[in-house]
Amino acid sequence: MTTLILGLVLGGTYALLALGLTIQYGIARIMNLAYGEITLAAAFVLVFLFQAAGISPLAAILLVGPLGYAIGWALYAVMMRPLVARSGGGSRLEVDSILATFGLLFVIQGLLLMVFGSNFTSIAYLDQGISVFGVTVALNRLLAFAVCVIAGGALTLAISRSRWGLVMRAVALTPSSAPLVGIDVNRVARQAFALGSALAAIGGTSVAMYQTFSATDGVVFTMKALVIVIMGGVGNVPGVLVAGFALGLVETFVATMIDPGLTLAATFAIFLGVLLWRPQGIFGRRA
Amino acid sequence: MLEVRNLSVRYGKHLALDDVSVTVNTGEMVAILGANGAGKSSLLNAIGRRVQAASGTLLYRGQELSQLPQHLLVASGIALVPEGRGIFPRLSVEENLTLGSLPARDKRNTGQRRELVHAIFPKLAERRHQIAGTMSGGEQQMVAIGRALMSDPDLLLLDEPSLGLAPIVTQEVFAALARIRGNGLTIMLVEQNARATLALADRAYLLEAGRVTGSGTASDLRNDPAVVNAFLGGSAA
Ligand SMILES: Nc1ncnc2c1ncn2[C@@H]1O[C@H](COP(=O)(O)OP(=O)(O)OP(=O)(O)O)[C@@H](O)[C@H]1O
Ligand SMILES: [Mg+2]
Repeated sequence: MTTLILGLVLGGTYALLALGLTIQYGIARIMNLAYGEITLAAAFVLVFLFQAAGISPLAAILLVGPLGYAIGWALYAVMMRPLVARSGGGSRLEVDSILATFGLLFVIQGLLLMVFGSNFTSIAYLDQGISVFGVTVALNRLLAFAVCVIAGGALTLAISRSRWGLVMRAVALTPSSAPLVGIDVNRVARQAFALGSALAAIGGTSVAMYQTFSATDGVVFTMKALVIVIMGGVGNVPGVLVAGFALGLVETFVATMIDPGLTLAATFAIFLGVLLWRPQGIFGRRA
Repeated sequence: MLEVRNLSVRYGKHLALDDVSVTVNTGEMVAILGANGAGKSSLLNAIGRRVQAASGTLLYRGQELSQLPQHLLVASGIALVPEGRGIFPRLSVEENLTLGSLPARDKRNTGQRRELVHAIFPKLAERRHQIAGTMSGGEQQMVAIGRALMSDPDLLLLDEPSLGLAPIVTQEVFAALARIRGNGLTIMLVEQNARATLALADRAYLLEAGRVTGSGTASDLRNDPAVVNAFLGGSAA
């Protein structure tokens, strides 16, 4: 039972992170290898705001989320836009964006190391336990879980129900038809990239609330988010949410029942399995 | 309403349209007839801003369109149904129509537009929840035209609406076009199906190898021996 609840909490963070990555990839068509760096930067900012300025993590989210959006917007405008323009809608964007964001990964990582150092970081925030279904869970985890569920749930609803979401889906599914109905694909792509970056940041704040992390962990978050996106089926929002929770559960299970050192190995074992046997994702439809 | 002057379109070295001039007056239905590869789609796509013209002007109600980004065209009153239809095949019929209404210039009457589209194409009402890509070719063409109508256009550009459709379905689509025209829309239509098109259109231009080689009223063209030979399979319609 403990494993189950802790796994769900972890899975909530993962699902949110994967949602952001899949939005960036599915709509803006940019495979962002520096994604986890945004997550990590947000985590550090939250720690800084908490320790140096005494701002509560919940209030910090309201600051960090929009900040993530703004940074994503700026990154797109400065770095991605020229690549998009050069690719002319072709497949070259995929390769170019992977190379560019791979470089960005090390730039951000270097900055984080410089500013925050290479030590493991964590905060002591609301770590008193409360009882959930007879299991004692730290309040900070529940809060982090609530943040992820609210942010992820609201976004999922918006994508599936609202007009804005319909435009997003239209661009994700058939970008070539979008201008025929007056959609500015570049604008939508920029919005989607910024939004994904905001989700990366919000995911980062939830990480900071209950995990210990260091400046070089970003790539782990990127890889996990990527694994989940592929497990859930690229562009499949419900699939990604389910896969996110599934990965959180598996990792927690492996860490408590077998060996904490094996969690990453387990993640990639699942990943390989999915790639080999169900490349369209566990919940994806066959193309 | 629309004046195309000396338009040329190139794909690399290939000159697909060579100095083409075409005029469409308000309320008219004008057809562009030509064989495969004549440059019909190039012409329509250049007007629809999917293809950048190498030279020439596109005047629409006195406004120069040739540098307008494609996504802004529909807000200025021109809706394009391209070859291949350009629908959203993985979204439902209803969602396709809703997307069509997003750039509508008068958002208050979206409900009315939808009723009008449903009246012209009752199938779209019946099948509103069906995924558009799973419909038949004729039905998808209806989705494409219906979606274009949702933006409340003044000028409708249609690229081979009869392509790949059985004769009876083509008739159905052309009957719908007649009705749309009755509502006062101006239509520019590209077709290979000359017989059905000349029966419906007011005027037509003949396009061969990227050049306009003839034009006239539909009734004149129907009786023109050269046209009859080239497009109507020998016997006068
Ligand atoms: N994107 C492109 N790149 C290169 N050549 C092209 C391109 N599009 C069209 N062409 C060429 O331009 C010429 C005119 O093509 P276009 O599609 O305008 O003809 P069309 O009259 O619409 O023919 P169809 O009846 O087959 O649709 C053809 O020779 C075609 O091969
Ligand atoms: Mg064509």
